[in-house]
This record gives sequence, structure tokens and C-alpha cells, in this order.
Amino acid sequence: MFLAWKEMRRARVRFGLLIAAIALLVFLILFQQSLQNSLLRSFVGAIENQTAPVLVYSVDGQRVIQASVIPPDLEAGVTSLPSAGVVGRIGQGTFTAETTSGLFDVTILGYEDPAVGAPSDVVEGRLPQSSGEAIASDADASNGFAVGDVVTLRPSAREIEIVGLAADAQLNAGPTIFVTYDTYLDSVAAQNPDAGTPLPNVLGIAPADGVTAEQLVVDVNDISLDLDALTRSDAADATPGVSQVRSSFQVIFLLYALVVPCVTGLFFLIVTFQKANALTLLRAIGTPAGRLVASLLIQASIIMAAGFLLGLLLYLPTTLLELGGLTLQFETVAVGVWAVLLFALGVGSSLVAARRVLAIDPIAATTGAGVGR
Amino acid sequence: MKLGLLELRRRPGRFATATIILTLIAILLMFLGGLLDGLISSSTAAIKAQSGDVIVYSESSQASFLRSRVDGELRTAVEALPGVEVTGGIGLVQLGARVPGNGPRDLASVALFGYEIPPDGVPDVPADGLVWADDVLKSDGVEEGMELLLGPARSPVTVAGFVSDVSFNGQGSLWASPDTWREVLVANRPDAQLADEVFQALIVVGDGAPSALARSIDDATAGATESFTIPDAIDAIPGVEEQQSTFNQIIGVTVVIALVVIALFFALLTVERTGLYGVLKAIGARSSTIFVGLVAQAVVVTLIASAIACAVVLALDVVIPPGAIPLDITNSRIVTSVVLLLVAAVIGCAFSLRRVLRVDPASAIGGSA
Amino acid sequence: MTFDTTRDAHGGGVATAAPPALVMDGVRKVYTMGDGSEVVALADATLTIASDEMVALVGPSGSGKTTLCSIAGGILSPTSGTIVVGGEDITGFSPKQLTTFRQEKVGFVFQSVNLVPFLTARENLLVVDELGRRTGATARQRADTLLDELGLADRAKNLPGQLSGGQRQRVAIGRALMNDPALVLFDEPTSALDTQLGEQVMELIRSEMQSRRIAAIVVTHDERITHYCDRSVHIVDGHLTE
Repeated sequence: MFLAWKEMRRARVRFGLLIAAIALLVFLILFQQSLQNSLLRSFVGAIENQTAPVLVYSVDGQRVIQASVIPPDLEAGVTSLPSAGVVGRIGQGTFTAETTSGLFDVTILGYEDPAVGAPSDVVEGRLPQSSGEAIASDADASNGFAVGDVVTLRPSAREIEIVGLAADAQLNAGPTIFVTYDTYLDSVAAQNPDAGTPLPNVLGIAPADGVTAEQLVVDVNDISLDLDALTRSDAADATPGVSQVRSSFQVIFLLYALVVPCVTGLFFLIVTFQKANALTLLRAIGTPAGRLVASLLIQASIIMAAGFLLGLLLYLPTTLLELGGLTLQFETVAVGVWAVLLFALGVGSSLVAARRVLAIDPIAATTGAGVGR
Repeated sequence: MKLGLLELRRRPGRFATATIILTLIAILLMFLGGLLDGLISSSTAAIKAQSGDVIVYSESSQASFLRSRVDGELRTAVEALPGVEVTGGIGLVQLGARVPGNGPRDLASVALFGYEIPPDGVPDVPADGLVWADDVLKSDGVEEGMELLLGPARSPVTVAGFVSDVSFNGQGSLWASPDTWREVLVANRPDAQLADEVFQALIVVGDGAPSALARSIDDATAGATESFTIPDAIDAIPGVEEQQSTFNQIIGVTVVIALVVIALFFALLTVERTGLYGVLKAIGARSSTIFVGLVAQAVVVTLIASAIACAVVLALDVVIPPGAIPLDITNSRIVTSVVLLLVAAVIGCAFSLRRVLRVDPASAIGGSA
Repeated sequence: MTFDTTRDAHGGGVATAAPPALVMDGVRKVYTMGDGSEVVALADATLTIASDEMVALVGPSGSGKTTLCSIAGGILSPTSGTIVVGGEDITGFSPKQLTTFRQEKVGFVFQSVNLVPFLTARENLLVVDELGRRTGATARQRADTLLDELGLADRAKNLPGQLSGGQRQRVAIGRALMNDPALVLFDEPTSALDTQLGEQVMELIRSEMQSRRIAAIVVTHDERITHYCDRSVHIVDGHLTE
């Protein structure tokens, strides 16, 4: 411990540079982890955090709510299923809304029955009960979607009052509000007078007593090849773009994570070569090899810990930021997992240098051969 | 400098690990850049390809096709403006397409455009019932001459040929006559149907600066329109600016990491070399000569790493199934990545400059080994 | 650049009209330590070496012989006193000027780290030219000639790691001679060699220096080899004694 620490103090620049490199890598990894989770939440949070355990799309909708349309005959088929408990219509539209903070693209989700289709995690206020009320996602509160605010749809000039906030209830990375079905129909009609009454986009279903969500999915899909039923979490995962985001980030994480042990390993290998004479001398005067290796591992541990903490410190302020509408959160689980993984990789890579240390022959002190090339 | 390059040639082993790390970082830079380009391209290529000066949407539509309606009256008003030569209507509907040979739940995601003025690379408006297809749809099994059934109404269209670089919103596009588009829209999206003569947006070709033209159109219609130059329309697409700034920040930090790695590696290298530098300085080498040698090594190592990374990324592009990851590897992106790395390499070396300067030629005498 | 091959009628080395290789007059080198105290490394050194003389500089470690060598070789500047090497007064030279001076006028054979490990014998000789004047073909010719004269013609393409200790020493000597110096400094040339090899190397040094009429300072603590030199100069605690 003594040796390890003393050496680091004497060679501040190089150990400092290494810690800086590790810190930046950790920061980038954690930041992108937050980014990924936040992106996914803002894309499909509204789907994951609503009350219907099963959602039924039309196959033509390709797992996009707005593109899906359920014709009356298929709706009747679903409603009459014995394994379906509660069935409710869900409609989605995209509108331009004016708030106290300006103009926004707003997604409006209308639900018929709050038991299947309303946001599941109300954090402030209440669900809308009458026409002209809405519950917004808490991420949008500061943009004029706070409880008590009124948003005006343009160009129809329809007004909607926010009566509650729900957690993680965004769709398509933009402001999202949930309304009762009649408010939704009203908004659509005001927007496009040429259209008639729109058909529902999606049906939300809760299974009947004793039926699992998975069984319900199978039963609904058996009704018709034009229906596409999914459990809530499958619907979120299958939304176009989600798997692309996940795959892209996976490649990114893999590459960054590989850089960490390479840099640490390289560093300790070179430093061990440079200390060859000093190490040989220590062995000659009776220092056990294990002690030298322990010293090496201690240094690696200190560096990884310091680098990780520094990276964490850099990461913390970003979790308080809003990045173009995305609120990044401190991902505790991810931080824990990466801490363990990177620590293991970093310290493990120093073992390559440890091998060299163990190969030192104390007799070399008298001949000056050192660790050799 | 010759000395530095000779060392690199004779002792490649000691530079190997640093080269590997730099290769990984270079791959990261090129991959991130390609990802950004791919994301943006698949979202906005159809707009970028428009061969007009200005796109006109209706007010409060926030540059979104789906929320915009431009009727005949508004169009006439725009056409009457001096400076406006030609206008073309454009409209869009997004649906699933049934492709012969694919499973019943396996639809291709398409954006059907009805157009009047052909965008770059797209031929003139085809006959009713025919479409030009985006070549990204080939990965969904679409072939020339195929009949695709669009939407729940199974509206048939036949693929007359392929076009490139016209994706929209992450979907492959189909380009049809306005009548075909309207038919499909009415049949499949009755709630979004538009009367004859009504389009979602107008492409305007005019003279003078596009930005001035856009402003004059909005002024003339007293705010009933929102007009954008093509680049502005692209930026207005939600997500584009955020994607760019986020990715660019990540790329920036990665370049800094490359800089630190090079600084670290060369700092370690020079520590080892102080004896040799002492000798060289004693026999008359200037510090600048030694330092230039270091920079030359850093540059060569970076170039080698970049070359390997380029090969790997191009291979990745081929191997990754189309659609799995939106990757668009362009030459300019590769060149930018290499340039950034080279700059990082040179600056990283600067960390070792002080140590090189400090080496005392007198240390060579009295020879501490 | 040609070297002087004129000899007198007797064929032996004679003090010619060439200026002395080294004239040190009252040279002092004082170092100020971190705590403000002063250490006198070299006190009032006065020494003249003729243009073809070989002088042994003998003294224990810490005696100041390194300092004296460094000043004589134009690596260090004196605190006071004057120093003229090969007719050139380098007393007030800036570090840049000293660097150029060393390239052109001085040769060094160091004690341990001598050769660049990744350069061949021939390339090691060409390093000086590479760093300085870049005469190209002229230098290459000279290098080949020197290697030949030193008996290393067949080793020209070997790396230092492939040469014996004695061969490495000879390559170092060759490099020291490349720029036709006024003065060559040998730092403990025999310390790593056994008696027989040491004698061989000293004979080689003597014959090379004599045949080219180049002055040399041989720094050593080994009294066995001082007889190879024309005279010995002793140094103790920074003071020169004859």
C-alpha cells in the first residue's frame, strides 16, 4: 500500500492522465446509458405506463398507435371474447398546441375507460373526468403543461385544462396528454372538418378473472389475421425504433467498454517495464513477489475507483439537465452494474502486467538485466 | 523526424497496443457519425431531395405534413406572388404495405407521397396506380413490377422502378401521382382525407433568395402559411436538431478521450527515452527535432488506426442487416473523423513537450544506465 | 569537409599550426541548491589541450570530472571563466548555439547508453549528419569509410543488440568521428570491458586519434589505461592538479 501510493504521488502526470481517461470513458458510458433509457422512456413511456395490460392494434398499424385502425367488426369480435374482461377504445392524434411557453407538437391519447388506457402512475392532481380536461406527463410540466395550465389547440382554438400529472407518460419524445374519449373526438373534428368520426386506433383490454395477459393475447390474435395483440411491455418494445435504439447503443457500449481495459492494461504494462530496475532491486532485497503484485493491483484499484468517481461526478450534473426535451435521470441500477463491470475489467487488465512482475528473477539485480525486453 | 519514423518501423510492437486503442476509438467516432447521418437521412431525405426553394405548410402545422392543409384558394394566392414561378402540391400518407411473399403480419412500413414536382433523383409523375419505390424497401423484398397492397383497405399500387435517398421518418417512400395518393388516403385514412385540390404542403420554385421568398409568401398570406427553406424545413423536423447536438457532444468527448490516450502513451514513451534523448541532445540534436519525431510517430499511428477502423466500419455496414441499425457511412464523415483524430494526436503529443525540453544533455555523461 | 593528413618529416604527431583543441581559463561552475546553498562543482579550472593531444582526466566519482567534460564538450556553460574549443570561443554561447556547435565540432563516446537501439551501425553513424547539416551522399561515403577503417564493414547493417560490447564501442567511436571534430570526449571507455578488451579498445582509440590528429579527453578512474594517453590530469573536489 505504501509503495503503491508513494509511486503514484511521484508520477502525478501520468497517473493523472490515466485517471482522466478513465473518468471521461465512465462519464460517456453513464451519460449514454441515461440517454438511452430516457429516449426509450420518452418514446414509449405512455404505452408502458398505462393501465391496459393488453393492447390490440391492427396489423396494418405496425405497432404504431396512430397508424392502427380497428374496424367495427373486429372490435365486436374482441368485445365478445370470453377471456376479455374490460375493453376500451384508445385514439391518438398529433396536434399543435399553444401553451404559456409557446407552440408545441402535442400527442393526444383519448381513452374510453380509465381502467384500460389511462396513465397508471398519477403523481399530482387527478385523471380527467369531463370534456376539456387532460392529464399530462410530468416531464412537460415546465413547458406550460402543469396542473392548472390551459393549452389551446391550433388552429381550432379548442382549450384543454391540465388537471393532473403522470410519471413517464410520453409518446414519441414529445408532450403527451391523456384525455377522455369524447375530448379526443372533439379535437379531431375541430382539426379536420373533412373527416367523419374516426375509428379507434387501438383497443385496451384487461383480461377476465383467471385469464393471464399472455393467454388473452393468443385469443385475440386467433380472431383474425388483421389483429395484432400485444402485452403492454411487448407493445413498448415492438414500437418501431425501439429495437434500433437498443441495438445502436449496445454497439456503442461494447466499444467504449473495450477501451477501458485496453487503456489500463497498456498503462500498467509500460509502467512495469519502466520500473524494471526498481522492482528487481526490491525483489533482491527480499520483497515477496506477491507483495509487488498486490501493490500493482492496489494501484489499479485506486485508479479505477478514482476514475469512476470522477466520471460519476461529471455525470451527475447531466442528470439534472434537460436535453432537447429529454429529461435524463440518474440511473442507479446502471451505475451499479457499470461500476462493477468496469472495475473488474480495469483491475483485471492490470494482471497482464502482474505476470511480468512475477517473472522477475532477483539475481538480475546483480547483473542489471531487469525485466528485459 | 526520420528517426521517429525509423523507430516506428523497427519497433512496431511497442506501438501496437496504442494503435489498437486508437483503432477502437476511431471505430467509435466513425460509427457514431454514421449513426447520426443514418438517423437524419432516414428521417429527412425525402425533404432534402425536394427540388424547390421553399416548402409551404399551413399555419400552426409546425412543419408537419400530417397537420398541414393547403387548399386551392391558398395555393392560388401563393402562385399569384411575383417571384413565384411554379408551385407543386405534395401530400403524404403513412401505411403498412403487404409485399407478396412476406408473412401476413409482416408488413413493410412505407410513406406514400403524392407529388407534382419531381424531387432530385425521382422521375416525372407516373401514371395512376404506379409508384417509384425507395430502394431501402428492397430489404423488405420489394421488386420492380410487384404489386403492393397498401393499408387496411389493401389499395394496390405497382412498383415501376426504384429511386434512392428519399426516405422519410425512418420509412421507405413511394412516389405516386396526386390522384393515386388521394385514393389511397380516402380508402385507408378516412379521418384524414382531403378534398380534391387540397394538398398538405406546396413546393415552391421561385427566383431570388429562398429565405426572402419564404418570408414574402407568409407576409402575402397574412400568416395563413408557414414557409420554410428546404434546410430550415429539415431542421424543423422534431428530433433532428436534438439528435445532431447530442451526437456531436458525444463525438466531441470521444475525441478528447483519444487526445488523453495519446498524451498518456507518449508521456510514458518519453519517460523511457530520457537516456536516449540525453545522448541525442549531447551529440547535437535540437529539442524541436526530437519533438517533431514524436509528432510524426503519433500521426502515423493515428493514420494506421484510422485505416483499420475505416475497413472495420465499412465491413460492419455490409454485415449489419439493413434496418437493424440506421447506419449511413459517408466519405465526408470518415474524413472528418480522421481529421479530428489527427488534431487530437498532435495536441496529445504536446503533453510530452515539456519533458523533452527538460532532458539535460549533460545527463548523458557520467552515464546512468 | 576534409581532414588534415599532413605529417612532418618524421611521420609522427607534431604540434602543427592548428589552434589548441581546448583552452579553459579560470573556469568555475557553481550550482545553487534548492535551499539556497551553493555547491562548487568546478573551481578555477585552467587547462590547455593541443590539437592532437590525448589527455586522461582521472578522478573519483563526485570529483567534478563530469562537469569539466560537459563544459569542455559544450554541453554546459561555465559560471565564470572562458572556454575556447577548436579556436572558437564558446563561453557566452546560448543553448541553441551550443547545440549547433556540438553537432559540428565535438564527438562523444558515452559510458553506457551510446547507440540508438533501433538503428543499424551505419545508421548510428549517420545520425549526426541527419540531425545537422544533411550532406547526404557525402556523409554516407564517410560513414562507410569509417566503418571500414574500424573493421566493421561487415557489421554495417547490424543492430546494436546484435553486436558485441567491443563492436558497439567501435561504432560509437565511428559516430564520434563523423563530423571531423576538434575534440572527442571519451567517458569511461573501458569500464564495462575486461582487461584484454579494454586494452584493445584503448589501442584503437589511440591509433584513431593519432592518425587523424584529433585531440581527446579520456575520462577514467582506471589507472591501467592512462599510459595510453599523452598525459594525465587529476581532479579532486573540483580542483585540477597535474
